[in-house]
Amino acid sequence: MKLEDYKVIFVAVGLVGILIFASPALSLVLRLPGGERFSELWVLGPGHMAEDYPGNVTAGVNYLIYVGVGNHLGSSAYYVLYVKFRNETEPLPNSTSGAPSVLAPLYEYRVFLEDNNSGEVPLTFSFSNVSFSGSKSTVGNFVTNGVSYSVDKSASWDAVNSGYYYQLFIELWIYDPVSDVPSFHNRFVSRWLRLA
Amino acid sequence: MSGLLTRCLRASAWLLLILMVAGLLSYWSPCAKGADDASGSVGNADAAVRLAFNATLDAERAGANVSGLIVRLNEAGAVLVEAEIALGNGNSSEALSKAAQCVGIAESVKSDADALRASSLDGAQTEFWTYLIFSVVSVAVFVVALALVWRRFKRGNVRRMLGMRLEVAHDEA
Repeated sequence: MKLEDYKVIFVAVGLVGILIFASPALSLVLRLPGGERFSELWVLGPGHMAEDYPGNVTAGVNYLIYVGVGNHLGSSAYYVLYVKFRNETEPLPNSTSGAPSVLAPLYEYRVFLEDNNSGEVPLTFSFSNVSFSGSKSTVGNFVTNGVSYSVDKSASWDAVNSGYYYQLFIELWIYDPVSDVPSFHNRFVSRWLRLA
Repeated sequence: MSGLLTRCLRASAWLLLILMVAGLLSYWSPCAKGADDASGSVGNADAAVRLAFNATLDAERAGANVSGLIVRLNEAGAVLVEAEIALGNGNSSEALSKAAQCVGIAESVKSDADALRASSLDGAQTEFWTYLIFSVVSVAVFVVALALVWRRFKRGNVRRMLGMRLEVAHDEA
């Protein structure tokens, strides 16, 4: 081996060593790109499992589900969950345009989560002032977490699925510190409820 | 005479009507004022929670551990929802009380977040200079050491080269 070859090896070792010893200072300046950033939203049954969801519902009975949110946005987040209730003809959020449902929320949760953390909130609901006439059913009041809301929603008999169907859905909104308002985060979960 | 009586009756009727309207207005205005106050307080509570969250985000960006602040923000958020429900149900006094409770929590979170941010920035500055000085000194020591090793190695290599004997192969045949 020639002396010039040894010189190249020394220079290479020198550069690697400089990088290693300078890494504490470099770590303060260089920021490596993180993973994919997203939020999660899910709904679970009364046992915190993806089973035993209330499907067939009747007036005067309390039902329990859990709504979960997960934050993987790289920093703490302020979420607002809007609980909404609709019949078959009323609109759901539009995932394509990212627009929320125009229906007014019946209940809301305000959830703060650190990055890589998740949380679940209980959602109890029941119905009162329910009536059936001919091929139509009407829900007068929707009670959620002990608070009663007058909804007066009607659903026609669904001959294919044999029932009167309503849908409970939860929209995920997120607070944006720049605009200083919460905006729809283009995520929602829902459960169909067959009223008997 | 009857004309005077009619005028008196008409005047009395007007007076009575004016008194009734004034009475109704005096009854309604505190109710309306109470609802406005409650609505304003809930709006203030909402703004206070947002400010507290922004302060928490700033503290987090400065490198502070904000777990405790997030727990209290969730508490403030739950109280804010209760205030909004009370407002929706027309219960102004409860809405006012819950909004005040929410503002109290949110303001304490903001104040703690600001303090955490300041201490984290101090810590971060100290950490920055410590890391920088350590890196500069260690790189300098490493480069000097490597240069000394190279010099020794080169000298040894040259000496080895000079000490080599020339060997000639003889053809005995």
